[in-house]
Amino acid sequence: MEGLKRDFNTVTLVMIPVAIAINIAVGQLALAVKIPLYLDSIGTVLVGVLAGPWAGALTGFLSSLIWTLTGLYTPAIAFAGVAAIIGALAGVFGRAGWAGVWWKAILAGLLTGLVAAILSAPVATYVFGGVMGSGTDAIVALARSVGLDALGANIAQGSFSDPIDKTVTYLVIFLVLRALPQRFLARFSNLPGRST
Amino acid sequence: MPPGVPSSGGAPGPACHAPSRVASTAVRSDAPSRPSGLHRLHPLTKLALFFVAVVAGATLPTTPLVLGVFVLLLLPLAIWGGCTGPFLRTCAKITTPFLLSLVLIQGFFTRGPTVLFSLGPFHYTLEGLQVALLFTARLLTGLGGATLLMMVTRPDALMRSLSERGLPNQIAYIVVTALQILPTFQARAQAILDAQRSRGLETEGSLPTRLRSLAPLVAPLIMSSLMEIEERAIALEARAFSRPGTRTSLVRLSDTRLQSVVRGLLLAVAAALIVVRLLSLLRP
Repeated sequence: MEGLKRDFNTVTLVMIPVAIAINIAVGQLALAVKIPLYLDSIGTVLVGVLAGPWAGALTGFLSSLIWTLTGLYTPAIAFAGVAAIIGALAGVFGRAGWAGVWWKAILAGLLTGLVAAILSAPVATYVFGGVMGSGTDAIVALARSVGLDALGANIAQGSFSDPIDKTVTYLVIFLVLRALPQRFLARFSNLPGRST
Repeated sequence: MPPGVPSSGGAPGPACHAPSRVASTAVRSDAPSRPSGLHRLHPLTKLALFFVAVVAGATLPTTPLVLGVFVLLLLPLAIWGGCTGPFLRTCAKITTPFLLSLVLIQGFFTRGPTVLFSLGPFHYTLEGLQVALLFTARLLTGLGGATLLMMVTRPDALMRSLSERGLPNQIAYIVVTALQILPTFQARAQAILDAQRSRGLETEGSLPTRLRSLAPLVAPLIMSSLMEIEERAIALEARAFSRPGTRTSLVRLSDTRLQSVVRGLLLAVAAALIVVRLLSLLRP
Protein backbone atom coordinates (compact mmCIF):
# COMPACT_ATOMS: atom_id res chain seq x y z
CA MET A 1 0.00 0.00 0.00
CA GLU A 2 2.90 2.35 0.72
CA GLY A 3 4.11 1.79 -2.83
CA LEU A 4 0.63 2.64 -4.10
CA LYS A 5 0.57 5.97 -2.28
CA ARG A 6 4.06 6.93 -3.37
CA ASP A 7 3.19 6.20 -7.00
CA PHE A 8 0.16 8.45 -7.12
CA ASN A 9 1.04 12.08 -6.42
CA THR A 10 -0.85 14.84 -8.22
CA VAL A 11 1.69 15.18 -11.05
CA THR A 12 1.31 11.46 -11.78
CA LEU A 13 -2.48 11.63 -11.72
CA VAL A 14 -2.34 14.53 -14.17
CA MET A 15 0.16 12.74 -16.38
CA ILE A 16 -1.92 9.54 -16.75
CA PRO A 17 -4.70 11.01 -18.93
CA VAL A 18 -2.05 12.79 -21.02
CA ALA A 19 -0.18 9.49 -21.38
CA ILE A 20 -3.39 7.78 -22.50
CA ALA A 21 -3.91 10.48 -25.11
CA ILE A 22 -0.27 10.02 -26.23
CA ASN A 23 -0.85 6.26 -26.60
CA ILE A 24 -3.79 6.87 -28.88
CA ALA A 25 -2.44 9.85 -30.85
CA VAL A 26 0.94 8.19 -31.53
CA GLY A 27 -0.79 4.91 -32.38
CA GLN A 28 -2.80 6.79 -34.97
CA LEU A 29 0.32 8.60 -36.30
CA ALA A 30 1.90 5.17 -36.85
CA LEU A 31 -1.21 4.23 -38.81
CA ALA A 32 -1.12 7.50 -40.78
CA VAL A 33 2.43 6.92 -42.05
CA LYS A 34 1.63 3.19 -42.55
CA ILE A 35 4.28 1.67 -40.31
CA PRO A 36 3.83 -1.99 -39.36
CA LEU A 37 4.16 -1.20 -35.64
CA TYR A 38 1.41 -0.51 -33.09
CA LEU A 39 3.30 2.11 -31.01
CA ASP A 40 0.28 2.28 -28.75
CA SER A 41 2.02 1.96 -25.40
CA ILE A 42 4.55 4.82 -25.36
CA GLY A 43 2.51 6.73 -22.75
CA THR A 44 2.00 3.62 -20.62
CA VAL A 45 5.72 2.82 -20.55
CA LEU A 46 6.58 6.45 -19.83
CA VAL A 47 4.29 6.58 -16.78
CA GLY A 48 5.61 3.22 -15.57
CA VAL A 49 9.24 4.28 -15.91
CA LEU A 50 8.71 7.65 -14.20
CA ALA A 51 6.06 6.90 -11.59
CA GLY A 52 6.37 3.19 -10.82
CA PRO A 53 4.66 -0.14 -11.47
CA TRP A 54 1.25 0.69 -9.98
CA ALA A 55 0.86 3.88 -11.97
CA GLY A 56 2.10 2.12 -15.11
CA ALA A 57 -0.36 -0.73 -14.66
CA LEU A 58 -3.26 1.66 -14.10
CA THR A 59 -2.30 3.64 -17.22
CA GLY A 60 -2.21 0.49 -19.35
CA PHE A 61 -5.54 -0.75 -18.04
CA LEU A 62 -7.38 2.56 -18.42
CA SER A 63 -5.80 3.13 -21.83
CA SER A 64 -7.42 -0.06 -23.12
CA LEU A 65 -10.70 1.06 -21.56
CA ILE A 66 -10.48 4.41 -23.39
CA TRP A 67 -9.74 2.72 -26.75
CA THR A 68 -13.00 0.84 -26.22
CA LEU A 69 -15.02 3.78 -24.84
CA THR A 70 -14.14 6.03 -27.76
CA GLY A 71 -15.06 3.32 -30.26
CA LEU A 72 -11.67 3.82 -31.96
CA TYR A 73 -10.78 0.17 -31.31
CA THR A 74 -13.54 -1.69 -29.46
CA PRO A 75 -11.70 -5.02 -28.91
CA ALA A 76 -8.99 -3.27 -26.85
CA ILE A 77 -10.71 -3.91 -23.52
CA ALA A 78 -9.99 -7.64 -23.84
CA PHE A 79 -6.27 -6.83 -23.70
CA ALA A 80 -6.50 -4.52 -20.67
CA GLY A 81 -4.73 -7.09 -18.48
CA VAL A 82 -1.80 -7.37 -20.89
CA ALA A 83 -1.53 -3.58 -21.13
CA ALA A 84 -1.50 -3.35 -17.32
CA ILE A 85 1.39 -5.82 -17.12
CA ILE A 86 3.32 -3.89 -19.79
CA GLY A 87 2.94 -0.79 -17.58
CA ALA A 88 3.94 -2.66 -14.42
CA LEU A 89 7.03 -4.09 -16.14
CA ALA A 90 7.97 -0.57 -17.24
CA GLY A 91 7.88 0.45 -13.57
CA VAL A 92 10.25 -2.38 -12.68
CA PHE A 93 12.64 -1.63 -15.55
CA GLY A 94 12.49 2.08 -14.73
CA ARG A 95 13.35 1.51 -11.07
CA ALA A 96 16.28 -0.69 -12.14
CA GLY A 97 17.54 2.15 -14.34
CA TRP A 98 17.24 0.21 -17.59
CA ALA A 99 15.33 2.91 -19.49
CA GLY A 100 18.26 5.34 -19.35
CA VAL A 101 20.92 3.11 -20.97
CA TRP A 102 20.38 2.41 -24.64
CA TRP A 103 21.29 -1.28 -24.72
CA LYS A 104 19.38 -2.00 -21.50
CA ALA A 105 16.40 -0.17 -22.98
CA ILE A 106 16.55 -2.49 -26.00
CA LEU A 107 16.73 -5.51 -23.67
CA ALA A 108 13.76 -4.21 -21.66
CA GLY A 109 11.81 -3.77 -24.91
CA LEU A 110 12.59 -7.31 -26.11
CA LEU A 111 11.62 -8.84 -22.74
CA THR A 112 8.41 -6.79 -22.54
CA GLY A 113 7.57 -7.85 -26.10
CA LEU A 114 8.00 -11.54 -25.30
CA VAL A 115 5.87 -11.29 -22.13
CA ALA A 116 3.21 -9.35 -24.08
CA ALA A 117 3.22 -11.99 -26.85
CA ILE A 118 2.80 -14.89 -24.42
CA LEU A 119 0.05 -13.14 -22.45
CA SER A 120 -1.95 -11.85 -25.43
CA ALA A 121 -1.94 -15.18 -27.28
CA PRO A 122 -4.55 -16.87 -25.02
CA VAL A 123 -6.79 -13.80 -25.29
CA ALA A 124 -6.49 -13.74 -29.08
CA THR A 125 -7.08 -17.50 -29.26
CA TYR A 126 -9.95 -18.02 -26.84
CA VAL A 127 -11.75 -14.66 -27.08
CA PHE A 128 -11.24 -13.79 -30.75
CA GLY A 129 -10.88 -17.26 -32.28
CA GLY A 130 -7.21 -16.75 -33.09
CA VAL A 131 -7.49 -13.75 -35.41
CA MET A 132 -7.40 -9.99 -34.95
CA GLY A 133 -8.95 -9.01 -38.28
CA SER A 134 -5.77 -7.21 -39.37
CA GLY A 135 -2.63 -7.78 -41.41
CA THR A 136 -0.99 -9.84 -38.65
CA ASP A 137 -3.51 -12.62 -39.38
CA ALA A 138 -1.33 -13.53 -42.37
CA ILE A 139 1.44 -14.51 -39.92
CA VAL A 140 -1.06 -16.59 -37.92
CA ALA A 141 -2.14 -18.40 -41.10
CA LEU A 142 1.50 -19.03 -42.03
CA ALA A 143 2.29 -20.44 -38.58
CA ARG A 144 -0.76 -22.71 -38.68
CA SER A 145 0.08 -23.97 -42.15
CA VAL A 146 3.40 -25.32 -40.84
CA GLY A 147 1.51 -27.28 -38.21
CA LEU A 148 1.23 -25.09 -35.09
CA ASP A 149 -2.06 -25.21 -33.18
CA ALA A 150 -4.20 -22.09 -32.61
CA LEU A 151 -2.46 -21.01 -29.38
CA GLY A 152 1.01 -21.77 -30.76
CA ALA A 153 0.33 -19.80 -33.93
CA ASN A 154 -0.78 -16.77 -31.92
CA ILE A 155 2.30 -16.96 -29.67
CA ALA A 156 4.42 -17.17 -32.84
CA GLN A 157 2.68 -14.14 -34.35
CA GLY A 158 3.10 -12.14 -31.14
CA SER A 159 6.74 -13.15 -30.73
CA PHE A 160 7.37 -11.79 -34.21
CA SER A 161 5.50 -8.45 -33.87
CA ASP A 162 5.62 -7.49 -30.18
CA PRO A 163 9.37 -7.47 -29.37
CA ILE A 164 10.08 -5.18 -32.35
CA ASP A 165 7.23 -2.87 -31.35
CA LYS A 166 8.20 -2.71 -27.67
CA THR A 167 11.90 -2.22 -28.48
CA VAL A 168 11.08 0.82 -30.61
CA THR A 169 8.81 2.02 -27.77
CA TYR A 170 11.63 1.75 -25.19
CA LEU A 171 14.08 3.50 -27.53
CA VAL A 172 11.60 6.38 -27.86
CA ILE A 173 11.36 6.50 -24.04
CA PHE A 174 15.18 6.48 -23.80
CA LEU A 175 15.31 9.54 -26.08
CA VAL A 176 12.44 11.28 -24.26
CA LEU A 177 14.18 10.81 -20.89
CA ARG A 178 17.30 12.48 -22.28
CA ALA A 179 15.32 15.37 -23.68
CA LEU A 180 13.16 16.06 -20.60
CA PRO A 181 14.46 18.79 -18.26
CA GLN A 182 15.79 17.71 -14.87
CA ARG A 183 13.21 19.95 -13.20
CA PHE A 184 10.46 17.76 -14.64
CA LEU A 185 12.18 14.44 -13.89
CA ALA A 186 12.75 15.51 -10.27
CA ARG A 187 8.99 15.34 -9.74
CA PHE A 188 9.10 11.55 -9.92
CA SER A 189 10.65 9.08 -7.50
CA ASN A 190 10.78 5.85 -9.52
CA LEU A 191 14.01 6.46 -11.42
CA PRO A 192 17.16 5.26 -9.61
CA GLY A 193 18.90 7.82 -7.44
CA ARG A 194 15.64 9.65 -6.87
CA SER A 195 13.98 7.49 -4.23
CA THR A 196 12.83 9.72 -1.43
CA MET B 1 -10.74 6.42 -38.75
CA PRO B 2 -8.26 9.07 -39.89
CA PRO B 3 -6.31 10.62 -37.04
CA GLY B 4 -6.97 14.13 -35.95
CA VAL B 5 -10.51 14.51 -37.16
CA PRO B 6 -11.91 16.78 -34.47
CA SER B 7 -15.32 15.78 -33.24
CA SER B 8 -17.67 17.96 -35.19
CA GLY B 9 -20.65 19.85 -33.92
CA GLY B 10 -20.44 20.79 -30.27
CA ALA B 11 -24.19 21.19 -30.06
CA PRO B 12 -25.41 19.24 -27.06
CA GLY B 13 -27.67 16.27 -27.20
CA PRO B 14 -27.74 14.67 -30.65
CA ALA B 15 -30.16 11.76 -30.37
CA CYS B 16 -27.38 9.29 -30.93
CA HIS B 17 -23.73 10.11 -31.03
CA ALA B 18 -20.98 8.05 -32.52
CA PRO B 19 -19.00 6.77 -29.51
CA SER B 20 -15.89 8.72 -30.53
CA ARG B 21 -17.78 11.99 -30.22
CA VAL B 22 -18.63 11.46 -26.60
CA ALA B 23 -15.34 12.99 -25.59
CA SER B 24 -16.42 16.58 -25.97
CA THR B 25 -19.55 16.45 -23.84
CA ALA B 26 -19.39 19.01 -21.11
CA VAL B 27 -20.03 18.02 -17.53
CA ARG B 28 -23.59 19.25 -17.08
CA SER B 29 -26.48 17.74 -15.22
CA ASP B 30 -29.16 19.71 -17.00
CA ALA B 31 -28.38 18.70 -20.58
CA PRO B 32 -31.33 20.09 -22.55
CA SER B 33 -32.18 17.08 -24.65
CA ARG B 34 -32.68 13.63 -23.18
CA PRO B 35 -33.68 11.82 -26.33
CA SER B 36 -34.94 8.39 -25.30
CA GLY B 37 -36.00 6.27 -22.37
CA LEU B 38 -32.86 4.19 -22.85
CA HIS B 39 -30.69 7.31 -22.60
CA ARG B 40 -32.47 8.28 -19.38
CA LEU B 41 -31.84 4.97 -17.59
CA HIS B 42 -29.38 5.00 -14.71
CA PRO B 43 -25.87 4.27 -16.10
CA LEU B 44 -25.51 1.21 -13.88
CA THR B 45 -28.72 -0.26 -15.34
CA LYS B 46 -27.28 0.10 -18.82
CA LEU B 47 -23.97 -1.32 -17.63
CA ALA B 48 -25.84 -4.36 -16.23
CA LEU B 49 -27.68 -4.84 -19.55
CA PHE B 50 -24.40 -4.71 -21.43
CA PHE B 51 -22.79 -7.09 -18.92
CA VAL B 52 -25.55 -9.68 -19.41
CA ALA B 53 -25.19 -9.40 -23.20
CA VAL B 54 -21.43 -10.03 -23.00
CA VAL B 55 -21.81 -12.94 -20.56
CA ALA B 56 -24.56 -14.50 -22.69
CA GLY B 57 -22.46 -14.04 -25.82
CA ALA B 58 -19.49 -15.72 -24.16
CA THR B 59 -21.31 -18.60 -22.43
CA LEU B 60 -24.20 -19.73 -24.66
CA PRO B 61 -23.05 -22.80 -26.57
CA THR B 62 -24.50 -22.45 -30.10
CA THR B 63 -24.46 -19.82 -32.83
CA PRO B 64 -28.28 -19.40 -33.02
CA LEU B 65 -28.52 -18.83 -29.25
CA VAL B 66 -25.73 -16.23 -29.30
CA LEU B 67 -27.27 -14.48 -32.32
CA GLY B 68 -30.58 -14.61 -30.44
CA VAL B 69 -29.09 -12.43 -27.71
CA PHE B 70 -28.10 -9.88 -30.36
CA VAL B 71 -31.46 -9.90 -32.11
CA LEU B 72 -33.73 -10.18 -29.04
CA LEU B 73 -31.81 -8.03 -26.54
CA LEU B 74 -29.37 -5.62 -28.20
CA LEU B 75 -31.38 -4.82 -31.32
CA PRO B 76 -34.61 -3.90 -29.45
CA LEU B 77 -32.52 -1.76 -27.08
CA ALA B 78 -30.96 0.03 -30.07
CA ILE B 79 -34.43 0.62 -31.54
CA TRP B 80 -35.63 1.94 -28.16
CA GLY B 81 -32.60 4.25 -28.03
CA GLY B 82 -33.36 5.47 -31.57
CA CYS B 83 -29.92 4.62 -32.94
CA THR B 84 -30.55 1.43 -34.91
CA GLY B 85 -28.79 2.67 -38.07
CA PRO B 86 -25.52 3.88 -36.53
CA PHE B 87 -25.48 0.86 -34.19
CA LEU B 88 -25.79 -1.70 -37.00
CA ARG B 89 -23.27 0.14 -39.19
CA THR B 90 -20.71 0.21 -36.35
CA CYS B 91 -21.29 -3.47 -35.59
CA ALA B 92 -20.76 -4.38 -39.25
CA LYS B 93 -17.59 -2.28 -39.43
CA ILE B 94 -16.10 -3.89 -36.31
CA THR B 95 -17.10 -7.48 -37.01
CA THR B 96 -16.44 -7.82 -40.76
CA PRO B 97 -12.60 -8.06 -40.56
CA PHE B 98 -12.92 -10.73 -37.87
CA LEU B 99 -15.49 -12.63 -39.94
CA LEU B 100 -13.22 -12.67 -43.00
CA SER B 101 -10.12 -13.83 -41.11
CA LEU B 102 -12.06 -16.38 -39.05
CA VAL B 103 -13.81 -17.94 -42.05
CA LEU B 104 -10.45 -18.37 -43.80
CA ILE B 105 -8.22 -19.44 -40.92
CA GLN B 106 -10.63 -21.54 -38.85
CA GLY B 107 -12.12 -23.11 -41.98
CA PHE B 108 -8.78 -24.34 -43.28
CA PHE B 109 -7.09 -25.23 -40.01
CA THR B 110 -9.86 -26.79 -37.91
CA ARG B 111 -9.77 -30.55 -38.34
CA GLY B 112 -13.05 -32.33 -38.92
CA PRO B 113 -14.59 -35.18 -40.87
CA THR B 114 -16.67 -33.04 -43.27
CA VAL B 115 -14.38 -31.63 -45.96
CA LEU B 116 -16.18 -29.04 -48.08
CA PHE B 117 -13.35 -28.47 -50.57
CA SER B 118 -9.58 -28.76 -50.77
CA LEU B 119 -6.90 -26.35 -51.87
CA GLY B 120 -3.62 -28.18 -52.42
CA PRO B 121 -2.71 -29.81 -49.09
CA PHE B 122 -5.33 -27.80 -47.15
CA HIS B 123 -8.85 -29.03 -46.52
CA TYR B 124 -11.71 -26.65 -45.76
CA THR B 125 -14.02 -28.27 -43.19
CA LEU B 126 -17.64 -27.62 -42.29
CA GLU B 127 -16.62 -27.83 -38.63
CA GLY B 128 -14.12 -25.00 -39.15
CA LEU B 129 -16.78 -22.85 -40.78
CA GLN B 130 -19.09 -23.52 -37.81
CA VAL B 131 -16.36 -22.52 -35.33
CA ALA B 132 -15.76 -19.33 -37.34
CA LEU B 133 -19.44 -18.41 -37.31
CA LEU B 134 -19.76 -19.11 -33.56
CA PHE B 135 -16.78 -16.86 -32.77
CA THR B 136 -18.13 -14.12 -35.06
CA ALA B 137 -21.52 -14.30 -33.32
CA ARG B 138 -19.83 -14.06 -29.90
CA LEU B 139 -17.78 -11.05 -31.02
CA LEU B 140 -20.84 -9.40 -32.58
CA THR B 141 -22.75 -9.73 -29.30
CA GLY B 142 -19.89 -8.70 -27.01
CA LEU B 143 -18.49 -5.82 -29.06
CA GLY B 144 -22.01 -4.79 -30.09
CA GLY B 145 -23.00 -4.57 -26.43
CA ALA B 146 -20.02 -2.33 -25.69
CA THR B 147 -20.78 -0.15 -28.73
CA LEU B 148 -24.42 0.30 -27.76
CA LEU B 149 -23.55 1.09 -24.14
CA MET B 150 -21.27 3.91 -25.24
CA MET B 151 -23.79 5.23 -27.78
CA VAL B 152 -26.47 5.79 -25.14
CA THR B 153 -24.39 6.59 -22.03
CA ARG B 154 -22.38 9.69 -21.24
CA PRO B 155 -18.97 8.69 -19.87
CA ASP B 156 -19.09 11.34 -17.15
CA ALA B 157 -22.41 9.96 -15.90
CA LEU B 158 -21.07 6.41 -16.04
CA MET B 159 -17.96 7.32 -14.06
CA ARG B 160 -20.09 9.29 -11.58
CA SER B 161 -22.31 6.27 -10.98
CA LEU B 162 -19.24 4.14 -10.34
CA SER B 163 -17.73 6.77 -8.01
CA GLU B 164 -20.94 6.70 -5.98
CA ARG B 165 -20.38 2.97 -5.53
CA GLY B 166 -16.84 3.39 -4.22
CA LEU B 167 -14.63 3.78 -7.29
CA PRO B 168 -11.85 6.24 -6.32
CA ASN B 169 -12.50 9.76 -7.63
CA GLN B 170 -9.02 9.80 -9.13
CA ILE B 171 -9.93 6.98 -11.53
CA ALA B 172 -13.03 8.87 -12.65
CA TYR B 173 -10.88 11.99 -13.12
CA ILE B 174 -8.40 10.09 -15.30
CA VAL B 175 -11.05 8.54 -17.56
CA VAL B 176 -13.11 11.69 -18.04
CA THR B 177 -10.03 13.89 -18.58
CA ALA B 178 -8.52 11.45 -21.08
CA LEU B 179 -11.76 11.46 -23.08
CA GLN B 180 -11.89 15.25 -23.00
CA ILE B 181 -8.30 15.96 -24.09
CA LEU B 182 -8.17 13.25 -26.75
CA PRO B 183 -9.71 15.36 -29.58
CA THR B 184 -7.16 18.12 -28.85
CA PHE B 185 -4.35 15.59 -29.05
CA GLN B 186 -5.57 14.13 -32.30
CA ALA B 187 -5.83 17.62 -33.75
CA ARG B 188 -2.30 18.39 -32.53
CA ALA B 189 -0.95 15.17 -34.07
CA GLN B 190 -2.56 16.12 -37.38
CA ALA B 191 -1.14 19.65 -37.16
CA ILE B 192 2.37 18.27 -36.56
CA LEU B 193 1.97 15.86 -39.47
CA ASP B 194 0.89 18.72 -41.77
CA ALA B 195 3.63 21.04 -40.51
CA GLN B 196 6.44 18.53 -41.04
CA ARG B 197 5.11 17.54 -44.45
CA SER B 198 5.04 21.16 -45.52
CA ARG B 199 8.71 21.37 -44.50
CA GLY B 200 9.45 18.51 -46.89
CA LEU B 201 9.32 15.53 -44.51
CA GLU B 202 8.78 12.38 -46.53
CA THR B 203 5.99 10.35 -44.97
CA GLU B 204 5.46 8.16 -47.99
CA GLY B 205 7.74 5.84 -49.89
CA SER B 206 9.85 2.94 -48.69
CA LEU B 207 9.58 1.50 -45.20
CA PRO B 208 12.92 2.95 -43.96
CA THR B 209 11.81 6.39 -45.19
CA ARG B 210 8.55 6.12 -43.31
CA LEU B 211 10.31 4.84 -40.19
CA ARG B 212 12.70 7.80 -40.30
CA SER B 213 9.74 10.16 -40.58
CA LEU B 214 8.44 8.95 -37.23
CA ALA B 215 10.92 10.78 -34.97
CA PRO B 216 10.09 14.34 -36.16
CA LEU B 217 6.40 13.48 -35.71
CA VAL B 218 6.41 11.73 -32.36
CA ALA B 219 8.99 13.86 -30.53
CA PRO B 220 7.14 17.22 -30.71
CA LEU B 221 3.86 15.59 -29.75
CA ILE B 222 5.25 13.92 -26.63
CA MET B 223 7.45 16.79 -25.47
CA SER B 224 4.84 19.50 -25.92
CA SER B 225 2.19 17.52 -24.06
CA LEU B 226 4.49 16.62 -21.16
CA MET B 227 5.41 20.28 -20.68
CA GLU B 228 1.78 21.10 -19.89
CA ILE B 229 1.53 18.60 -17.09
CA GLU B 230 3.22 20.68 -14.40
CA GLU B 231 0.96 23.68 -14.91
CA ARG B 232 -2.11 21.50 -14.86
CA ALA B 233 -0.98 19.81 -11.62
CA ILE B 234 -0.40 23.17 -9.93
CA ALA B 235 -3.80 24.41 -11.10
CA LEU B 236 -5.51 21.33 -9.66
CA GLU B 237 -3.63 21.51 -6.37
CA ALA B 238 -4.69 25.14 -6.03
CA ARG B 239 -8.26 23.81 -6.17
CA ALA B 240 -7.71 21.23 -3.41
CA PHE B 241 -7.56 18.27 -5.80
CA SER B 242 -5.95 15.88 -3.32
CA ARG B 243 -8.05 16.93 -0.32
CA PRO B 244 -9.52 13.85 1.38
CA GLY B 245 -13.24 13.57 2.08
CA THR B 246 -16.49 13.63 0.15
CA ARG B 247 -17.15 15.82 -2.90
CA THR B 248 -20.25 17.19 -4.49
CA SER B 249 -20.72 16.54 -8.17
CA LEU B 250 -22.30 18.56 -10.93
CA VAL B 251 -23.57 15.34 -12.48
CA ARG B 252 -26.87 14.27 -10.92
CA LEU B 253 -28.18 10.80 -11.58
CA SER B 254 -31.76 9.68 -11.15
CA ASP B 255 -32.42 6.13 -10.04
CA THR B 256 -35.65 4.26 -9.38
CA ARG B 257 -36.59 1.32 -7.21
CA LEU B 258 -37.65 -0.62 -10.32
CA GLN B 259 -34.25 -0.14 -11.97
CA SER B 260 -32.44 -1.36 -8.90
CA VAL B 261 -34.60 -4.53 -8.91
CA VAL B 262 -33.95 -5.02 -12.64
CA ARG B 263 -30.21 -4.65 -12.06
CA GLY B 264 -30.33 -7.35 -9.41
CA LEU B 265 -32.22 -9.67 -11.75
CA LEU B 266 -29.79 -9.02 -14.62
CA LEU B 267 -26.81 -9.85 -12.42
CA ALA B 268 -28.59 -13.03 -11.27
CA VAL B 269 -29.15 -14.03 -14.91
CA ALA B 270 -25.46 -13.43 -15.68
CA ALA B 271 -24.39 -15.52 -12.67
CA ALA B 272 -26.79 -18.31 -13.69
CA LEU B 273 -25.40 -18.33 -17.26
CA ILE B 274 -21.86 -18.65 -15.93
CA VAL B 275 -22.80 -21.47 -13.54
CA VAL B 276 -24.63 -23.41 -16.28
CA ARG B 277 -21.64 -23.01 -18.57
CA LEU B 278 -19.16 -24.18 -15.94
CA LEU B 279 -21.35 -27.21 -15.11
CA SER B 280 -21.55 -28.19 -18.78
CA LEU B 281 -17.76 -27.89 -19.08
CA LEU B 282 -17.23 -30.16 -16.05
CA ARG B 283 -19.62 -32.78 -17.33
CA PRO B 284 -17.90 -34.34 -20.34
